Amino acid sequence: MRKDRIKKILVEHGAADHNLTSSVLKRLDNLPVENIIPDFPGQRHDFQDMDKETLRLIKFKGEVLKPCPGTRGYICCGYQILHVGTNCPLDCSYCILQAYFNQPSLRIFVNLEDELIRIGQIIDSHPDKIFRIGTGEFTDSLALDHVAGWSDILPHFFTARKNAVLELKTKTERIEGLLTSQYRDRIIVSWSLNSPYIVSKEEHGAPSIKKRLLAAKRCQAEGFTLGFHFDPMIQHPEWKEDYMRTIEMIDRFIDPKGIIWISLGCLRYMPALKSIIRRRHPGTHILDGEFVRGLDGKMRYFKPIRMEIYSFIGEVIKKWYNDPGLYLCMESDEIWHKSLGWSPENTDGLSLYLDKRVIEFFG
Amino acid sequence: MDDIWHILRDGPILLNIDDIKEKPGPYTISFGFDLRPLVRSIREFGLINAPIVTRGEDGCMDIVAGYRRIMALRSLRWKKVPCIDLSDSGLEPLELLLFNLHDNISTRRFNDVEKGMVLNRLIPFIPGKEIREHYMPLLDISNTMNLDILIRLEELDTQIKESIADGTLSLNATRLILDMDNRSRTAIFKWISNVKLNFNHQIQFIEYSTDISIKEEKSISELLDEEQISRLLEDKRTNNPQKAKHVLDLLRSRRSPFLTRSEKTFKKNISGLNLPQGVRIQHPPFFESPEYRLEILFRDGKELKEKIDSLAQIDRLKKVGDPWQEDS
Repeated sequence: MRKDRIKKILVEHGAADHNLTSSVLKRLDNLPVENIIPDFPGQRHDFQDMDKETLRLIKFKGEVLKPCPGTRGYICCGYQILHVGTNCPLDCSYCILQAYFNQPSLRIFVNLEDELIRIGQIIDSHPDKIFRIGTGEFTDSLALDHVAGWSDILPHFFTARKNAVLELKTKTERIEGLLTSQYRDRIIVSWSLNSPYIVSKEEHGAPSIKKRLLAAKRCQAEGFTLGFHFDPMIQHPEWKEDYMRTIEMIDRFIDPKGIIWISLGCLRYMPALKSIIRRRHPGTHILDGEFVRGLDGKMRYFKPIRMEIYSFIGEVIKKWYNDPGLYLCMESDEIWHKSLGWSPENTDGLSLYLDKRVIEFFG
Repeated sequence: MDDIWHILRDGPILLNIDDIKEKPGPYTISFGFDLRPLVRSIREFGLINAPIVTRGEDGCMDIVAGYRRIMALRSLRWKKVPCIDLSDSGLEPLELLLFNLHDNISTRRFNDVEKGMVLNRLIPFIPGKEIREHYMPLLDISNTMNLDILIRLEELDTQIKESIADGTLSLNATRLILDMDNRSRTAIFKWISNVKLNFNHQIQFIEYSTDISIKEEKSISELLDEEQISRLLEDKRTNNPQKAKHVLDLLRSRRSPFLTRSEKTFKKNISGLNLPQGVRIQHPPFFESPEYRLEILFRDGKELKEKIDSLAQIDRLKKVGDPWQEDS
């Protein structure tokens, strides 16, 4: 993986007094630190590289726990996002976060521990509801763990709750913090996977599939439950053979019985992201496919193409293991039926399906 | 600013026109104008307001205000020009620039190229925040995103800038061609200007061309020079709207062959059903939603029933569905 390139730390006003700030500054005590006033709303930045060499420590004032936004017309998994930071040191050409160029730098929210008290109250006041919570929506869950120390803070919070699970979604092999933690219950470590071709061409700075799976293997051996996400799947020359190689590698390294779910999702993007991708990654071919405007306004592969991809990959995975907890991310009832042969019908149905998986795995 | 009033009161001096620089220089902000009315006016009534100049670092005179007047006088072959000379006014370059800016802004609107010229001249002196907060509203620039585009317009060829200035090439289309190599940009612009593509078509044309060029790993100029495409432009039997439709259809089918094939198959299948007059079956946009649409136009219940009865007789209606099923 690309070496850490953090060259300076900016501590925003209001962030200095938090424990998390002190621990980050201690871990990176060789770097210059500057105290700054927070950006005003709408402040413009012109960082072509997203300024990934700067780490900002921020007291986040927005909602720290919020439902995955989902989109109109498609079935959502009903997952909740724990907003621990934004941006990550990797530089995947398809990354949605490139569109938020008014929020540059690697950003860690240092008031997480205070917010967890409030989140704990929310979770505990709904004992009949299962909270599937993840941190991997706006950042990679583990890429900055060695800096932020999330694995010191989060696992014991979730292990203590019987109606919640934490999913740490990553492309990295930064599992040291997790492995040293004593908590395993109700923690899912999941890896974003792709074809080796896409990994090498488009996931800049991310470890190879083999390295990710070796890290997953280690986590599995250490008692963690695993998840995998084939998202975004991208058509490319010999994509079928190439995605099969990844699945063959999973077979080599991972015991399928320890996988709680595997999700599939094809590349989709907000129209405004296209010009940003073209500018930041001029050589990329990820936009070559036939994209159409979806019901939610995002660009997606033409429907029969998506169905072919899902049917093929779904079939290969099910042949490998018959109970992989397979689901589609943000797809329609029709695509579910025509690709996987069944459908949860709506977001509630998919949530129920995934909640059942949680109960099967964690009780 | 007291000095300037003193100089203005002293009145103009006569300068050789050849001592005044022809290029716009650091203060003037005029582009894409029609010089003819001014030439006519000067020919008829003479020069009413003296241009304002200042001596540049190279010893020649830079125009501060009155660039168009000097150009008109050149075309009228005046040898001497009455000018107000601010060389000894003590005014800083930024003050001279602002002097001209406010002189212009009080009497006219700037086109986009001129807005870019203003920004380029201000940027060395004014912090970005002040430009956004003060000068953007002054120049009637509503979107911060456009700043980057406007300041780069001066890089473009004169012909392209003229199209931007006269409003025939959209700023959104310009944004898409700015980073292209010169040949590709020229090839795109040739189509846009010759066929007079409207703003939507400009964007579609550029996006299709860019996507195909990347996908097929060939330059845009190579793509648009292909015989199949270039002959559409030369076709004397078609007018501009037809040319626009033909080229966009061609590029779209090349960009998205599966989708366009599916649309064509669907259309062919529906036309083969011989639906009653006033009855239409449409597929959802891009076939994304699973539902097709049946539309029946009728004048009264009797006609509606006749059309429904007639529809019920068409056995092949059962086959209406996703066209790619037939492909596979």
